[in-house]
Amino acid sequence: MKMNENISKEDRKMLNGIFWRSFTVFASRAGATKAHAPGFMYSVAPALNRYYKDDPEGRREAYMRHTTWYNITQNVGTFVMGLVASMEKKNAEEKDFDAESIVALKTSLMGPLSGIGDSIFWGVIRVIAAGVGISLAAQGSVLGPILFLLIYNIPAILTRYYLTYMGFSLGSSFIEKIYANGSMKILNKAASTLGLIMIGSMTASMVKFESKLSVPIAGGKPIEIQTYFDQLFKGLVPLGITLLCYWLLSKKVNVNWILLGVLVFAIIMGLLGVV
Amino acid sequence: MYKEAFLAALTVFICYGGNWLFGQSMIERPLVVGCIAGLIFGDMRTGIIMGASLEAIFMGAVDIGGALSAEPVTATVLATTFSIVLNVNDKAALALAVPIGVLAAFISMFMKNVVMNLFAPLVDKYAKENNPRAIAIMHYSMWFINYFIFSLITFFSVLKGAKPVQQLVNSIPDNLMAGLAATGGLLPAVGFAILMRMLWSKQLAPYFFLGFVLVAYLELPSVAVAVLGIILVLVTSFKDKQLLDIENKQKELEMRPTVSASGAAAGSESEQEEEDFFS
Repeated sequence: MKMNENISKEDRKMLNGIFWRSFTVFASRAGATKAHAPGFMYSVAPALNRYYKDDPEGRREAYMRHTTWYNITQNVGTFVMGLVASMEKKNAEEKDFDAESIVALKTSLMGPLSGIGDSIFWGVIRVIAAGVGISLAAQGSVLGPILFLLIYNIPAILTRYYLTYMGFSLGSSFIEKIYANGSMKILNKAASTLGLIMIGSMTASMVKFESKLSVPIAGGKPIEIQTYFDQLFKGLVPLGITLLCYWLLSKKVNVNWILLGVLVFAIIMGLLGVV
Repeated sequence: MYKEAFLAALTVFICYGGNWLFGQSMIERPLVVGCIAGLIFGDMRTGIIMGASLEAIFMGAVDIGGALSAEPVTATVLATTFSIVLNVNDKAALALAVPIGVLAAFISMFMKNVVMNLFAPLVDKYAKENNPRAIAIMHYSMWFINYFIFSLITFFSVLKGAKPVQQLVNSIPDNLMAGLAATGGLLPAVGFAILMRMLWSKQLAPYFFLGFVLVAYLELPSVAVAVLGIILVLVTSFKDKQLLDIENKQKELEMRPTVSASGAAAGSESEQEEEDFFS
């Protein structure tokens, strides 16, 4: 890789440290206000300890900076960790560096990076891996879970590794550039598009609702309600319910109420003999 | 039942805790959990098959920023335990998995977002004390405490719940059973809605329906949908990039005269450009 060329041995040691520690980034969760701040502090510790070796006051300030809320899809979050390492380095070297900009940049990247990461890892790779895994496991083959883990984890770990290095070597100027020239927008749009296509396809295959209701007709075959639904539009009810859930979420209805609503709805439908 | 309860709780701890200790490596998914639970209870085949069915039900259940629609580990472990150890029939065990998963998600979210708040002041304290060692120890302790307490739920569910569950399953009327099974079919909708919430925009909404129709009517497998999606995204991105380059160049052209000459000259030049454009 080209970006690894001008990285020294110590840099490499530090970045590998961050890479390995980052696996545990979400191991702890310090409530809703700080979320994964401890995991982030633990992950970037190799950088903070290295650059503020002779400056305990600087290191204290650095740790205190990073006690704020942190949450990025973990396989792409290492990009920010590498980036923070490069900025902390600058901060330790230059007296007039604006330390607040480190937290500002970190925070501003959480949304867009998670958007890209969630759609690619949760929306696409996991779904493909699960699709292959389910079809094998349904026949009782142990290859199902094994292939599932391999298909998901190989790209996930490679991404985690290379993004640690990229974040460090590209630095904050690169981020500012891709924000300014609009590349970030294109990247985000591409990931969202792919994610939405996959979610649409999953809605069709995974959300199920079949009515066994039929209307008896004197002297003829009873009318099956489901066939009418299917003729109107295949998967009409699952699609409608998914969109309704989305609409309720966008109206800031708590997700727990929506879940409860769906459960109650399904059970009532069962009791009434609709499903 | 103590042995079974302990083994089931251990499976939850390994799979759920392990998943978050090892980079969300998906060992918390029913496909894997079913296999491991089956292995521990001596019937791997049943475990794997249960895992495959549950994976489809819990497909939409992913932990995104702490919002969780259903917790798959406890659900899979309990369903597999009931099926293998108590000989509850598979259909009933699968139906029970859904309410268990939702209940477990409530508890998990409560633990992570509310109970674990107790540690938030410690994070600030250790940072202020400039003590990375304490931060590391706290980080791992919080992990252990959270998942240890969480796996106790499974322990007591198996220990105290085994008999009632058997009676319950035998006494559930058919239509209630159908309702419970239907919850499994509708549950993914909530998970997908959470995912959509992050990605949705008016311009991109049609792609959601494209994905839906590709599967509902054309019945394409997910790999095919993914490949079509990637092709589509590449084509549109290249076009977007071209547009962007043109836009950036135009901006540059507009910028140049303002930098070199005075404001008046730049004004007349852009007017000139506009005139050219409309002629």
